[in-house]
Amino acid sequence: MFHVEHYDVVVIGAGHAGAEAANICEKYGLKTALITKNQSDLGKLSCNPSIGGVGKTHIASEVDILGGVICKIGDKSAIHYRVLNLSKGPAVWGVRAQIDRDLYVKNMKKYIKSSKIELIEDEAINILQKNNKIVGLECLKAGKIKSKIVILTTGTFLNGKIYFGNEVKEAGRIGNSSSKELAKFINKNFKTMRLKTGTPPRIYAQSIDYDILDPQPSENNGIFLSYFTKQNTNKNVNCYITKTNIKTHKIIRNNLDKSAMYSGIIKSQGVRYCPSIEDKITKFGDRNGHNIFLEPEGLNSNLVYPNGISNSLDKNIQLKFLRSIKGLENCKVDQYGYAVEYDTVDPRELKNNFETKKIENFFLAGQINGTTGYEEAAGQGIYAGIHAAMKIKKIKFDNKVFERENSYIGVLVDDLTKLGVTEPYRMFTSRAENRLKLRTDNSYERFSSTINNKVFNKTEYNLITKNIKDEKKILKKIKSLKYSPNDLKTKRIKVKKDGKIRNGFEVLKFLELSTKKFKDFFSVKIDQKLLTKIYFDSKYQVFYEREKKSYDQLNKNKNMNLTNIDFNKIPSLSREILEKLNKHRPTNLNDACKISGITPSALFQIMKYKKISGNKIARR
Amino acid sequence: MFNSGTVYSNFTPLVKSPVIGYRISGDDVLLILKKLTKRNFSKDHSMMKLVELHNIDGTILDKCSVVYFKSPNSFTGEDVCEIFIHGSPLIASQLEQVFKDYKIPGFRLAKKGEFSYRSVFNNKYSLKQAKAINLIINNESFSSLEYNKKILFKGDIVSGLTPLKEDIVNLFSEITASIDFVDDEDFNFKNIMKKTRDFFNICNKLLHKNRTKIEQKNICKIMLIGPVNVGKSTLFNMIIDKERAIVTNIKGTTRDILSNQIIFDGKKFELFDTAGHRSKQGKIEKFGYRKAQKLSKEIDHFLVLKDKNTRKADLTKLFKDFDINKNFTIIETKSDQFNYNSKNIKINHYLNREALFSRIKISSIYNKYVTHKNHKLEFNNSEIEFLERILEYENDIINERDILIIAQLIRNILDDFSYEFGYINNEDVYDRVFSNFCIGK
Repeated sequence: MFHVEHYDVVVIGAGHAGAEAANICEKYGLKTALITKNQSDLGKLSCNPSIGGVGKTHIASEVDILGGVICKIGDKSAIHYRVLNLSKGPAVWGVRAQIDRDLYVKNMKKYIKSSKIELIEDEAINILQKNNKIVGLECLKAGKIKSKIVILTTGTFLNGKIYFGNEVKEAGRIGNSSSKELAKFINKNFKTMRLKTGTPPRIYAQSIDYDILDPQPSENNGIFLSYFTKQNTNKNVNCYITKTNIKTHKIIRNNLDKSAMYSGIIKSQGVRYCPSIEDKITKFGDRNGHNIFLEPEGLNSNLVYPNGISNSLDKNIQLKFLRSIKGLENCKVDQYGYAVEYDTVDPRELKNNFETKKIENFFLAGQINGTTGYEEAAGQGIYAGIHAAMKIKKIKFDNKVFERENSYIGVLVDDLTKLGVTEPYRMFTSRAENRLKLRTDNSYERFSSTINNKVFNKTEYNLITKNIKDEKKILKKIKSLKYSPNDLKTKRIKVKKDGKIRNGFEVLKFLELSTKKFKDFFSVKIDQKLLTKIYFDSKYQVFYEREKKSYDQLNKNKNMNLTNIDFNKIPSLSREILEKLNKHRPTNLNDACKISGITPSALFQIMKYKKISGNKIARR
Repeated sequence: MFNSGTVYSNFTPLVKSPVIGYRISGDDVLLILKKLTKRNFSKDHSMMKLVELHNIDGTILDKCSVVYFKSPNSFTGEDVCEIFIHGSPLIASQLEQVFKDYKIPGFRLAKKGEFSYRSVFNNKYSLKQAKAINLIINNESFSSLEYNKKILFKGDIVSGLTPLKEDIVNLFSEITASIDFVDDEDFNFKNIMKKTRDFFNICNKLLHKNRTKIEQKNICKIMLIGPVNVGKSTLFNMIIDKERAIVTNIKGTTRDILSNQIIFDGKKFELFDTAGHRSKQGKIEKFGYRKAQKLSKEIDHFLVLKDKNTRKADLTKLFKDFDINKNFTIIETKSDQFNYNSKNIKINHYLNREALFSRIKISSIYNKYVTHKNHKLEFNNSEIEFLERILEYENDIINERDILIIAQLIRNILDDFSYEFGYINNEDVYDRVFSNFCIGK
């Protein structure tokens, strides 16, 4: 018996992927339901209490400008800000906010409830399909629900296991026999793999001796997660830094046999960029100690998240080593650190719109695809949501923004669906070939074709369109100003004496980065944020053009005939890629780029080689 | 494009010769050997066996040596066998016909480079090693031969580029880490820039040191000149002895001049035969003579041939036309027919090759012009060119202050290294980042 409601889309799971997916579907006018087992889990920050950072902010800012919620709710719930990489170019600035966990959930709940999303507190137990096409799902309480599309964003629920030392527990909902059906459904239909991650203990704030530790104050300086945030009015609090010492290391070294990861109980692939404290000490030794960042979990929370000491040691050992650390001598632990093992779906099971290849209208997003991080999940959620909307509502959307050269979400999607993962996938700016262009301060420009009044409220929409207009005006003005090398010399700006007349935009990169200097030089007023943006536009222009040229070339050569090419002759192709090319034998570049695992760099190599070797056919 | 399947190919030329060799590689080698020899080779790894090869109808195709290499201990890493049939192209064609008649799915003629490809693919050889095989076969100098042999037998590690590759991957890893993991360690921009400058300094030094070494002379060029009918071609043919000479490069008449490279006594020579000079030359001969004149600048040494009929004026003209100073030897030919009273070297066509060489003192001619012999090279030619390409980035990088732009340019260098060592991808870089730096909170 089907539930009376017929939905366009039902999103299962209300973490960061689920929330973004449901939100964007609702904004694009889909009849949307969001299913969560427990309302208090809405947008829960399950690991560290912070959002953003290098690479992560980059995805988050794209979600923000697509109409997502993570940045806005993040700013509303932030209690501490810090901008990483400020000494480097803005392409890699990463604002990071410490988040009050409770506030975040509260704000998320408020937001969802104020929307037209139907929030269903229930547990999904099965996916219903007919002829490999979604017809709906089955819930524990509500029974069968009809829906055109189902987006599954259930994180790490598949076969999760938790390890404290030699103690093993089945984790999550797997103990519940009803959700076993859902797990069975996934396991039956898709290729899965086992991943591992860890988490540190949580310590009671009152038990920490802050007086003897170095504080790290908040830099609440006007740089926020969201494009639309004007200020953060929450009370801001300090983080604190402490470090491990020889004594700590000795305790850990002597007890490696009581660590789940080291005693050999856990066999799955660990995360290279998120090593446990056992790993750090074994691999990097004592050094000058290893840093621990004590991050408050919230204004009203009595818990602290000690970032840097995730481990899977026996509980007694954990307490012993914690108490050897400065400031933690008398600490009390709420919950001990542990390692988690779980299954994820091989993301190569997905089409590039995140719909599964096997079952039509069934989308997967978030950690279930082998990623880690709230921002990575949010990016996938909004991506899946938009593609769901494109699929059934035929909304107009310029999909080019999701090409690898245009966005981090594009990089993420491309890497996942083409290369798959071997460890939980996290975004690094170095994953993007086009890093100089993919900046957080120009997201609105990269995504300008997708900005519309469906996804933003009036204030937001007006703000963004006004800013774009102002920027255009200033650019038009300074581009109309012309300078010869001599003009510039009189203004004490050194350029090559090439006789070239430069316009104001081309000159900008030679100026000092200051609003006052800008005004003096061009007689145009500008605010710092916009100046920084166009200043680096001016500076990176030559790289953008170069990059664009190569991508244009690639696009122009999409029909390049590859039937006679011997890929093995291209020395810079990796073995995996060669294997794939030889297996699929693409007849032209366009086909080659559709093969999973073929990177853009490989395409460039093929193109380059083909051009060099002409049409010579290797003859015996 | 290469596919799976068992492949075969001849590895000697298909010409009349004492022996012709065939190699087969792939999963079906044992099956094919069984059909061909009625014998099971599975326990005969690396053992030469004298066996009868059979046609499909059971008649004997040939009786010859066969050796089987069991996977993975073979050139390609797959099952491999080598068959040494009698050197008749007709037997070879019969053997190939038998292979076709077996109709084993996937059993086919190998494509060019396919054995090497398979050996790289199965990690028997690195990309550099496979390239080295090619370079060894096509070598032009003994020193670079030694170098390429070292790469083939000892691996990438002996290439002068390997430490540079390590350096640049480490440098790029550090830059990557300093951007993406700024929280985790103390990264110092000045320090990174210093390492960058050091890298280019090393490149520059290596380039200068090795360029001169590689460009060093390794061949002695000798031209035969003299009037018509004095016996130039006879001498030329004796020296290059088609039957016995180790001829490395038959250029034929591409320059309108016969030229041939030979190796004698470990020394490399290029010999040029010219059209003779006579007063009434035909158009074509005149053209050849002029060409030879033009070439004379490149020539180290001239063998000037004369006989009883040669007039002094003829020689004077030759010396003038070819701009010859001291770099010549006068050789009097046909000493069996004429008596000469000079101290010049005398030869005739009854001399054997060894005697001829000793008489014209070919080794001391070589030593006069080729002074440096075998250098220990750290690079081969293509690697030197590669170094030059890398150094084109130097200025842009050294003068840049924006670490992001530096990172972009160094990534380009890494891509260049990919052409030498196989693709260096992000994962390789991350591996380095995570093993060199304590990353991750």
